[in-house]
Amino acid sequence: MKLNEKSVAHYATCNSPPDKTGFLFKKGERNTAYHRRWFILKGNMLFYFEERESREPIGVIVLEGCTVELCESESEEFAFAVKFDCVKARVYKMAAENQAAMESWVKALSRASFDYMRLVVKELERQLEEVQEEARSSQAKNKPKKHQPQVQGATFSLQNAAITGPSQEGVSSRENGVSWSKPTSVPNGVSEGCVWEGDFCGRGDGVKPPPVPPRRKTNGGSPESPVSPGTGCFSKLHEWYGKEVAELRIEWMQSK
Amino acid sequence: MRFNEKELVFLSRQPPERAAELGMRGPKKGDVVKRRLVKLIVNFLFYFRTDEDEVSVNQSQWHRYHYCYRYLFLDEAERKYLFECDSQEQCEEWIDAVVKASYEFMRKNLIYYRTEIHRLTGKDPLEQYGISDETRFQVNSGLPPPPT
Repeated sequence: MKLNEKSVAHYATCNSPPDKTGFLFKKGERNTAYHRRWFILKGNMLFYFEERESREPIGVIVLEGCTVELCESESEEFAFAVKFDCVKARVYKMAAENQAAMESWVKALSRASFDYMRLVVKELERQLEEVQEEARSSQAKNKPKKHQPQVQGATFSLQNAAITGPSQEGVSSRENGVSWSKPTSVPNGVSEGCVWEGDFCGRGDGVKPPPVPPRRKTNGGSPESPVSPGTGCFSKLHEWYGKEVAELRIEWMQSK
Repeated sequence: MRFNEKELVFLSRQPPERAAELGMRGPKKGDVVKRRLVKLIVNFLFYFRTDEDEVSVNQSQWHRYHYCYRYLFLDEAERKYLFECDSQEQCEEWIDAVVKASYEFMRKNLIYYRTEIHRLTGKDPLEQYGISDETRFQVNSGLPPPPT
């Protein structure tokens, strides 16, 4: 199998920030001694260099479909292993210099895969949709006193939303198992000054009522109208309005 | 440079995000367009010879990508690849898939959702996973380190 080695090696040493770096002891393939190497974790690729200053990696371990486990070693303390699912896969044995480093590396490597990232992103996407949905439905229930006429791109304050404040309890006890019961250090959550650019503006999904049609001014009866505004006689009203329509129609035809 | 070849071959046999037979031209001078079975799996682009079962792989870290009609251009640091699709529509689907098959793209999405959820609820959704401290999920990651 050919790998675009040059590009991959370039990726290792280019200036994009690595996710983790440090010295680890790595057990050799043929030579079973542990060698101290400089490791750089970027995304789902674990590069190892002979020295920290080396320009090119000796090798790379693609961390996809692997598990990371602690392991016993006769010669090394703080040892762990990277294992793969496939048949006759190599086991990469490594050892850190202390307990904290070992734990930190095991944690980082076991979550480095693209697959894992994708799972987390999907889950957060789902959570965000839920949060937005909740805010939408509580916005609909709590009609604000001051009714704002329809404005494109209106911003809505989340002060009435049920997400923040005392209903945090409701959030953490949901069925999906998400538990956010750890208290936050933010006293009021986001209830103050939180402006949510309504992403349902103009969608007409029933949250905002349609604009009220402009009312014809009929206070006291206009001089043109022969009919008093309060008239209940439909035929008279019909006749009068009909005249206006006919006049407008003529006007329009003549302007063509 | 050594790499875990067996494991990559195994990966190349997993269900792909997208797979198709495309025309492919490599980066070397004199390379011509050849039919290849191209598979996009996580952030790797594998391509198989259609007559043999041999596979090569490119880690999907493209610097530039653009397309024109049904030709997809993917550029690495110094090398350019050309993929010939059957239609513009197929080309657009591929470029969409390639853009999303990037670790950086995933990372940016994660940071966006994390920030939004935190803004709307005051809670960090990564805490439940125990990964809220990891450098790769910090809002300012992806920026080059400050000069020393």
